[in-house]
Amino acid sequence: MAIVTISRGSLSGGRALAECLATRLGYPCLGREPLREAAHRLGAPEETVRERLEVPPRRWLTDTSEQQRYLQALRAVLADHCARGNLVYHGVAGQFLLDGVPGVLRVRLIAPPQARARALIAAHHRTSRRAADAFIKRTDRDRRRWTRIMYDRDVEDPRFYDLTLNLEHLSLSAACAAIAEVAVLPRFDLTTDDRATLTAMASACRPASPDSPGEGR
Amino acid sequence: MAIITICRGTRSGGELLATCLAEALGYPVLGREVIHKAAAELGLPVPDMTVALARSPGLLERGGAERNTYVSALQAALAEHAVDGHLIYHGLAGQLLLRDVPAVCRVRLIAPLEMRLGFLKHREGLNGHDGEAFIRTQDRERARWVKLLYGERIEDPALYDMVINLEVLDIEMACALVTTLVRQPEYAVTERVRERLRDFLLACRVKTVLLRAPETAGLPLEVRVEDGRVEVSGSAPALAGGETGNRIAALTRTVEGVSDVRLKFEWFDPYP
Repeated sequence: MAIVTISRGSLSGGRALAECLATRLGYPCLGREPLREAAHRLGAPEETVRERLEVPPRRWLTDTSEQQRYLQALRAVLADHCARGNLVYHGVAGQFLLDGVPGVLRVRLIAPPQARARALIAAHHRTSRRAADAFIKRTDRDRRRWTRIMYDRDVEDPRFYDLTLNLEHLSLSAACAAIAEVAVLPRFDLTTDDRATLTAMASACRPASPDSPGEGR
Repeated sequence: MAIITICRGTRSGGELLATCLAEALGYPVLGREVIHKAAAELGLPVPDMTVALARSPGLLERGGAERNTYVSALQAALAEHAVDGHLIYHGLAGQLLLRDVPAVCRVRLIAPLEMRLGFLKHREGLNGHDGEAFIRTQDRERARWVKLLYGERIEDPALYDMVINLEVLDIEMACALVTTLVRQPEYAVTERVRERLRDFLLACRVKTVLLRAPETAGLPLEVRVEDGRVEVSGSAPALAGGETGNRIAALTRTVEGVSDVRLKFEWFDPYP
């Protein structure tokens, strides 16, 4: 019984790994769904929430209160899911949102930029190699900057994960097998106290109703 | 059967992980013995070699030939053990020394400073500021060595297949992780991998001989071995009678196991 968060760059195989792991362990697998739920709870458009949580604010904008509000809502949704027990989450900022939560295995997946560009070209046939390289570079830079602004941390630093796996030589199924080996260990079991902590965390982060004064859009 | 390299900071549990893996897999473990072996091969005292490896090349030292000789000897010493197809190496920069070898499982182990201080206190009785200073100095030296030799950052996760953080996981879990990983087909030491290992060993030996010989030490030479055939390439001065080429070929043939030598050179006039 465990909660596994998977952090990765775009097109690094994070979704495939999450699905492999979820199938292998019989856990639910979540990616964008918690973000959608958080947007719904806030009464905000999903696209706006997604953009604020993925694209860093412009350099001259120092106010991050909007992003903080979305993050709190997302944290509440995630805590609700985690309190139910097993979960594989490959969406935004799982390792930071669930920082300090017991029973969480924080995984980071990396892949060579060339392989990621190839994956992008395979998915979008009209993309040129040059455009694919530029896209990968830009999204990595954005993600690094976003994490630096919001958490003052380096998203690529292995110290913020329990396990960093590199798909340069390693296959996805091997990575999946290795994570599954650890996730089932009793160390990652959620106790009754852990569930209570998660429920309390969810309540503390839950936003007020969109109809409340000062909230919603 | 698999080859595992473990890179870690001082007192981060690398030796414990190596021991645990050796028990689980029954493979031999190597650490500093590789430096001892390489030093013996070159007829050098171990401390001299360690110091020379960590030293930046001087302005007049062309291409750091002395240090390259030591690195090449280190690679050869490591490859000699790796050709058996099962090895756990937790010494210096295994992930880079064996980077041209396929099917090597490259693991990095990291641990929080407090944990490392605990290991240090338990093993060597060092604590407080002394312990912290010792750890920082050792880490800096290793990072510098890797930067100097390979131009890489030792902490870069892209250099490894797996980075395990001991903040939450423990040595047994790390051991289980690596054991699971090396049982995957990509780390199987097949007959083809063994051939590549033998070629790599031969290339390291030839390189060491060429780097040690005064007449070839300063030349920018590359050695490639494929299926036992040695190819030495680079640029060298075109002396009368093809003396340099003959010398390189003769030196290469002194290495045991070399039968076929091919030279692929750009010759330049040393006295234009």
